[in-house]
Amino acid sequence: MAKQSILGEEEERTEIDLSPMIDCIFILLIFFIVTTVFVEEKGLQVHKPDAAASAALDVDESITLEITASNAVMFEGEEISAVDITNRVRATVGDEDIPVIIRAHEKTHHGTFVSVWDAAARGGAKSLSFSTIN
Amino acid sequence: MRRSLLSETDIATAIDLSPMIDCIFILLIFFIVTTVFVEEPGLEVSRPDATIDRDLEKNSIIVAISADNKIVYGGRELGVAGVGARVRQLLTKEDLPVIIEADASSDHGVFSNVWSEVKNAGAKKISLSTLKD
Repeated sequence: MAKQSILGEEEERTEIDLSPMIDCIFILLIFFIVTTVFVEEKGLQVHKPDAAASAALDVDESITLEITASNAVMFEGEEISAVDITNRVRATVGDEDIPVIIRAHEKTHHGTFVSVWDAAARGGAKSLSFSTIN
Repeated sequence: MRRSLLSETDIATAIDLSPMIDCIFILLIFFIVTTVFVEEPGLEVSRPDATIDRDLEKNSIIVAISADNKIVYGGRELGVAGVGARVRQLLTKEDLPVIIEADASSDHGVFSNVWSEVKNAGAKKISLSTLKD
């Protein structure tokens, strides 16, 4: 608060009352604190082969992993484990851009599908996609 | 503030509020900037685990699939066709990425249907949600 001049006793104090403004700001502040949610989502971006791409797709030059209704992963007719998926994909794909397709049965658990996708991506598959069979 | 004419020595005790107002303004601006109004599914989902997952955008449309294959958006249960319509409606306002938050024990077929519906609704970026570690 400024010192009042001793000379000008008649001089009127022009001061803005800040309290209502502070009240408003407090209410706004509380509103934003309450509504703020710090959502942190982690995830994978997934694709399906689109019609145009699948027509051009060379069938010999792709890896197909099949997931059965009983959550078993089949590759070239035999059942393989998650570690084997990574190794087989790495051995076949190498540095090339060979498409990897996951064909999952519709009754497969979503968790199994995600772990297969994860295993294939760890093996270095660049163009991963999924399709559903029933 | 009127000073008493009699007691000239009495000191006006007033707290200087300006630094406090400054602080509150900074807090207010911080919360305004960080607030995103995401509609949460309001459903406990046990997400599958993955090692190669990335952070997803905060401001997204989140569609959840429960363990018993129910499709939920914003606390309401929608059918497969309902999701498509809802997402299309939301995307007309703003082009947002879509996150499908499916339970690890839900059927893959349901996830696949939701994915197709969301894709047909015009979503450019569709992700599935995984466990944060």
